[in-house]
Amino acid sequence: MKRVIAMRLVQLPVILLAVYTLTFALAWLIPGNPLERTDGRRPPAAIEEAMRAQWQLDDPWQFYWSYLGDVSGVTWLSRGGEGPVIDFGPSMRHENWSVGEIIAGQLPISMTVGLSAILLAVIIGVTSGTIGGMRPGSWSDLATGLIAVVGVSIPAFVIGTAMLLAGGVWLKWFPVTGWGSWEHIALPALALSLPFAAWIARLTRQGVIEEMQADYVRTARAKGISERAVMTRHVLPNALLPVVSYLGPATAAAMTGSFVIEKVFSIPGLGMHFVDAVLGKDLPMIMGVVLVYSSLLVLLNLAVDVMYAWIDPRITLGSST
Amino acid sequence: MSRLLVPLIILCAALGILLSIEQPGNDADLIIASEDEIKTLDPQRMSWLHDMRLAYALYEGLTRWNTNDFTIESAIAQSWNSSEDGLLWRFHIDPQARWSNGTPVTAHDFVWSWQRLLLPDTAADYSDLLFPVQGAEEFWNWRAEKLASFSGGEQEAEELMEETDRRFHETVGIRALDHSTLELQLARPVPYLLDLLAFAPLLPVHRPSVEGWMVSDADLEDMKGPSGWHFMNPPPWSERRFIALSPQTGRLQVDHRWARPGTLVSNGDYVLDRWRYRRDLRLTRNPESRRPLNGAAREILVVSIPDPNTALLAFRAGEVDWLTGVSADVRRDLLDAASDSQADQTRLVRSIRAIPSFGTDFFSFNCRPTLPDGRANPFHQAEVRRAFALATDKQSIVNHVTGLHEPISGSMSPAGGIKGYEPPNGLGFDPDAALRELASAGWGLDDEHNLRSASGELFPEIELLYTTSSSRHQRIATALRGQWEETLGVNVRLVGKDSKAFSVDLRQGDFMIARGRWYGDWGDPTTFLNLFRTGNGNNDRGFSNESIDAALAAADVQSDPAARYRSMAAVEKDLFEKHLPLLPICQIVEIGMYDPQQLSGMTTHPRLIQYLGDIRFVKETP
Repeated sequence: MKRVIAMRLVQLPVILLAVYTLTFALAWLIPGNPLERTDGRRPPAAIEEAMRAQWQLDDPWQFYWSYLGDVSGVTWLSRGGEGPVIDFGPSMRHENWSVGEIIAGQLPISMTVGLSAILLAVIIGVTSGTIGGMRPGSWSDLATGLIAVVGVSIPAFVIGTAMLLAGGVWLKWFPVTGWGSWEHIALPALALSLPFAAWIARLTRQGVIEEMQADYVRTARAKGISERAVMTRHVLPNALLPVVSYLGPATAAAMTGSFVIEKVFSIPGLGMHFVDAVLGKDLPMIMGVVLVYSSLLVLLNLAVDVMYAWIDPRITLGSST
Repeated sequence: MSRLLVPLIILCAALGILLSIEQPGNDADLIIASEDEIKTLDPQRMSWLHDMRLAYALYEGLTRWNTNDFTIESAIAQSWNSSEDGLLWRFHIDPQARWSNGTPVTAHDFVWSWQRLLLPDTAADYSDLLFPVQGAEEFWNWRAEKLASFSGGEQEAEELMEETDRRFHETVGIRALDHSTLELQLARPVPYLLDLLAFAPLLPVHRPSVEGWMVSDADLEDMKGPSGWHFMNPPPWSERRFIALSPQTGRLQVDHRWARPGTLVSNGDYVLDRWRYRRDLRLTRNPESRRPLNGAAREILVVSIPDPNTALLAFRAGEVDWLTGVSADVRRDLLDAASDSQADQTRLVRSIRAIPSFGTDFFSFNCRPTLPDGRANPFHQAEVRRAFALATDKQSIVNHVTGLHEPISGSMSPAGGIKGYEPPNGLGFDPDAALRELASAGWGLDDEHNLRSASGELFPEIELLYTTSSSRHQRIATALRGQWEETLGVNVRLVGKDSKAFSVDLRQGDFMIARGRWYGDWGDPTTFLNLFRTGNGNNDRGFSNESIDAALAAADVQSDPAARYRSMAAVEKDLFEKHLPLLPICQIVEIGMYDPQQLSGMTTHPRLIQYLGDIRFVKETP
C-alpha cells in the first residue's frame, strides 16, 4: 500500500503538468483581451501596449514558461529562495490581490460549504436509503424515492432562491447574506446537499436490498439476532461500501462545483470567482484555481482509496488502481 | 461498523477546523450592498463609480461638491485665487488637515499624487485629466518614450527615475510654493477645473504609505511637523516595501498591498478597517477627520452581493440599509414586487429610488468610409445616419422594451446633469423625414418595401452589434431591428457577442452599428463632447469633422461660462441634428434602494456621487 501511495504522489506533478498545459491552451484560446473593457474610458494606446507587454500577452510561449516557473517553484529557486515558493502572480482583473491570496481566502469557504453539504447528504441519504431499502415498494420507499428525484432534478438556483425566500425573508430563521456562522452555512449546505443525498440514497437502498437477500443475513436472522442488530452489524457495513467510494469524488465535486449555490447565497467562495475569471480571461486566476483544484482532486481520491482499503481489508489497493 | 464511522468523523473534524478559521463579521451602523465588487482603493487607478464612492469616503481633495446641485465647496483647500486669464491658480491648504496617522496634509502631497497620476507607469485611465497643465502632456510623452526605448539595468532605471523627478519639477506647472500653498500653471484654461479637483483620480495619497517606507516612531513624530514627510529623504529603492523599479522595463512596479487595512493612510472622513476580497469592506470614522461626526455613521460595512435576487431579498430582510444598484434584468421584477404583500409593500415601494443618471445609452454608427474587410460602409453618409435616427421610436423602447420609462435622449449630454447647460433636443421620431433623408442619399423603397438604389441595388444588410452580457441590450437591439425593417425596408442582422469579443470589434471599427454607453466624469459638457474630437481615444465611431473640432477648440478657450455653454450647446446641436455620429436612446436610470424614512442626506442629482459621510439616520419618532 505504501508503494501505491508513493506512486500516486509521484504521478501528481505529471498530472498537474498535463492539466496546466491543457488549461493554458484552452484559456489562451478564449477570445478577447483580458485587459479590455466594454464600457467606460480606455487608457491611452501607449499604456495598453505597455500593460500587454507587462503581462506577456503578446507571446503565449513566454507566458507559458515564465508562469510555469513561477508556480513550480523554479523561479523561487533561481531567486535564491526569496518570496513565495509557489507564486500564482497577481490577478489580472483584481490588481490589488494576488491569486495566492484569493485562493487562500476563498478556498476554505468553498470547502466548508462542500464538506457541510456532504455531511448532510450522508445523513439524509443513508437514512432515507435504509428506510427505503428495508421495505422496497412500500409507501416509505416511494416517498423517499420521490424526494430523491426532486433533489436531483430541481436546479440549484431555484431551490436556493426558494430556501432564501422561505427561511430568510418569511420565517426570518436564517440570514439572507453574510458568512461566518452556522446559520449562514445551513441553507446553502442543505441546497447543495440535495443532489448528493439523492445519489447516496439510491446507492444505500440498492446495497441494502442486495445484502438483505444474502445468505449471511438469513443465517443471522435464524440465529435469532434482533432485526436492528442485523441491520447495523451485518447489512449496513456491507451496503455502505459503495457510498464510501462515492464520497471521494462527491466531496471534490461539492467543494469545487458549488458556484451556483455560492452566487445565490452570496457566499464568498472560490467557485463563483473561478467562473468570473474564465469569463474575464483572467489567466493567472484561471491557472491558479485549476491547479489547486486538480491537486485537491487527486489527493482526495487517494485519501478515499486508502480509507476504502482500510475499512474493508478484503480490498487491496494495488489491484484496484 | 465502527470503521465506517471514520470517514464521517474525519469530515466533521475538517469542518470544525475550517469553521474555526473564520472570523465572525462585525456589525456596522450603516450597511451598504452592491452587486459590483471593489476593484481598487487606489484613487489614481480608479475608473468605476463604485470604487470612487469609497475614494470619496477615504480621501479628501482640494474641493468637494455640494451633492444637491453639484456646486463647488472648499475642502482641503480653504481658499483659492486665479489669474485673470484663468491660467494661474493658487490653492491655500487648510493647516488643520491631517492624514489618519496624524501628519499634516501639505501641498507636497498633491504634487506627488498628481505626478503619480501623470506617470505612464501608473497606467491611469485618467492621466489626461491633467494634460491641460503646462508641460504635463509633454512630460507624459517624454517618460513614455523613454520607457519604450529603455534598454535595461537597475542603475539605468534609477537614473531615469531621478531624471523623471527632476523633469517633473522643472517643466510641469504643478508646484508647492510652500507647505500649504499649491500653484497650478495651466497651458490652456480649464473652466471646470474646480469641479475636476474634487474628482477621485485627483485625490491625494500619502507617499510614505503608498511606497511603503519603513517609518520609525521618531520619524513619524518628525513628520507631524508642518512639512509632513517632505523633509525626509526618500529611502533607497530597496527599502521601499510597496514599490520597485523594474530593471527590465524601467517602469515603477507597484505592489498594491499598500491599499490594505493597517497600511492605507487616508485623509477623508473614514479609514479602512478591513477589506476581504470580493466579500466586504469596513470603514471606521477617521479620528483626524476635519468634519465633525454630526450624526454620520461611525462604522460602515460595504458588502458585495453578486446575485441581484439575493441582494433584493437581503434588503427586504432588513440586512442592508442601502442597495446601491439593482441590475437591469431584475428592475422590472422589482417594480412588480411592489404588489407583493401588504405589510412589505409600503417600505419596499418607498425604498425604490429610480434616478436618471449622468449617463446615456446609445448606438454608435461607424463613420469610417469602409469596414475592415473592405466593404463600403453605408453609415459613412450622414444622410443615412440621420435617416436611421429619425426612424427610431425611442419612446416606445423605454415604455415597452426596457419598461423603465427612462427619459429619452436626442443628444449626448443628459438633461439636468450640468447646471446652466441645456442640451439640444436632437432629432425626433419622424418616419417620413427618414425616407426623405434616404432619398437624398439615393435610396428609395420599392413596391415590396425593400430599400434599393436607383439602379436597383439592395441596401446592404446592416449588422447591429451588441453585448450578450445583459438581456437589456439584446431587447433594445431586437426592437431597433423591428423598427428599422418596418420603416426603412432594410435587412438588419443582430450580432451578439460577449463583452471581450465585442470590445475588440469596437476597437477595430469592425461594426456598422454598435451599442454603447457613456457616463460623464466632470460637470462640463466636454465630458461628453470630447468623444467626438478627431483622434480621441474613446472615439469608437471613427468620427472626424473639422468644423466640430474647431468649434470645440474655440469653446475650450472661452472664459465666460454662459457664453461657453451656449457655444457648447451649438456644437452639440450640430452634432445631433446634422452629423449623428451616434444614436442616443435614453438617459440611463439607476435604481437603488433605501428607505427615506431611515436614511437622509442621499443625493438625487444625476451625477449620483454620494459622500458616505453625508448620510444621516432619520431619528425614529414614536
